[in-house]
Amino acid sequence: MNTSVRIAPGLVLKNPVLSASGTFAYGEEFSRLFDLGLLGGIVTKGLSLDPKEGNPLPRVYETPCGLINAIGLENIGADAFISGKLPELRSFGTPVIVNFFGSSEEDYALLASRLDVNGIAAIEMNVSCPNVKQGGLEFGRDPEVLFRLTGAVRARTGKPLIVKLTPMVSDIGAMAQAARAGGADAITCANTIPAMAIDEHTWRPVLGNVTGGLSGPAIKPVALKLVWEVSKKVDIPIIASGGACTWNDCVQFLLAGASAVEIGSASLRDPLCFTDIITGIEHYLESRGLDSVTDLIGKLETP
Amino acid sequence: MNDVQAVVKGNRAVARDTFLMDLDCALEPSLPGQFLMVKVSSARELFLRRPLAILGQGEGTLEILYKLKGEGTLELSRKKPGDVLWVLGPLGNCFSPPQNGESALFVAGGTGLPPVLALASRIGSGALVIGARSKGDIPLLDRMNSLKGVAVYPVTEDGSLGRRGMATDVLGELLAGAAGPCAVYACGPRGMLEKACELSGVAAARCEVSLEEYMACGFGVCSACTVKTSAGPRRVCSNGPVFDAATIAWGAR
Repeated sequence: MNTSVRIAPGLVLKNPVLSASGTFAYGEEFSRLFDLGLLGGIVTKGLSLDPKEGNPLPRVYETPCGLINAIGLENIGADAFISGKLPELRSFGTPVIVNFFGSSEEDYALLASRLDVNGIAAIEMNVSCPNVKQGGLEFGRDPEVLFRLTGAVRARTGKPLIVKLTPMVSDIGAMAQAARAGGADAITCANTIPAMAIDEHTWRPVLGNVTGGLSGPAIKPVALKLVWEVSKKVDIPIIASGGACTWNDCVQFLLAGASAVEIGSASLRDPLCFTDIITGIEHYLESRGLDSVTDLIGKLETP
Repeated sequence: MNDVQAVVKGNRAVARDTFLMDLDCALEPSLPGQFLMVKVSSARELFLRRPLAILGQGEGTLEILYKLKGEGTLELSRKKPGDVLWVLGPLGNCFSPPQNGESALFVAGGTGLPPVLALASRIGSGALVIGARSKGDIPLLDRMNSLKGVAVYPVTEDGSLGRRGMATDVLGELLAGAAGPCAVYACGPRGMLEKACELSGVAAARCEVSLEEYMACGFGVCSACTVKTSAGPRRVCSNGPVFDAATIAWGAR
């Protein structure tokens, strides 16, 4: 049985199960729990050029079937990651995909060139960040801006480039096309959904940042539909991200058109879920008499 | 740290909105101050685990003391003997024992009793100040009083048990009257911890606090519980929950 999937030239995953940015830190903590080499790939916490402190507390709040987070992209910065975290992370024998973000096109491009080092298998660009020069509108909300940003980053890196889209657009297929036209090798679909929580006793917002992003199984049906939409518009591989907790969820995302699935919030609740998910997919393939996980990708039968 | 199955043996109210749960559970040995992430429901609706301090651990047994705070702890309070939970732990660091002849002063308020009582039980000497709104809010008073070398000082805001006032009022007096060096161990509301830190500073006593913050993972990956310290940002779950109080940037949050 073949569980491997191809995401980009030079980026083949041994199975379609990845960690997700922001719920896996830089891998150290999980490496004490299970062999990271079992994963299809490791997606790191989002990095910026300089270290970032993040938002005031509280930063998380549970909601039914999920959570709202406003961590604020706290991270140690690209240089500290490359010198301090990457050497161990790359030793697990699975591709290291580095998530990154910036506040201007120049930031993104400079950071992409900084990440063009040995041991990083691919880079995943978070475009759900405010574009300071455009009055704070997120890069991923305007196809023209996203096209230019992707092109600028493409020009500065030899790594496979994955663009992680925001769900907060009216036509996500058009955004995927813009990213593809700019030179993206693959699309991650999608990201958290903007949300908030209010304390009715104090009349105040729960989160220190007032608003945050909703994740977890609550958003899975939304993510499933977004993946399906994107798969109809672009021919490059899609990585699903949004509430997958089980092998069943992963199979559904594959059928909708994803080539791989990131496991995010579920790993906060069940840090050992990855191995169950991977073996669950294998057993499913076996039970259906399928030779390859690619036999599932985009095979949704619609009326 | 491991994710292990725990079987509920007992679960009973021991004070207002406060429950004591006994579990059969083969967790690795823990130290006072460490905690668990408890999956209160196998249904995904209650999505996150709940961080709960370890009150006691025996051969294959665990004890947790928790206060009803929301849906998660309410669900926990409904567990019956024989019900199964998953607990991830032991997590976080622990208190450091008294050094160089220090006398231990334990201070607990609100939901802060479990790690402090776990430590007082282990050390077995010193003074324990337990602060609460009212008499009915104080659990396990008999157990505290049975600690032979530990003098127990209940303090209530309404004066219904022990002194009327705040736990830190008594802490201040104990520090002022101490004959030798002291180590203060505190867990409870942030205001209480900040005051304990201030009083310890004045008395040149060492002060360790166990912090509580909202957290999602409990083992250092999500950065939800990052606090500011003089040594930079620190995660309560994995760098703490116990910190040298003097390093905490109390004003920043």
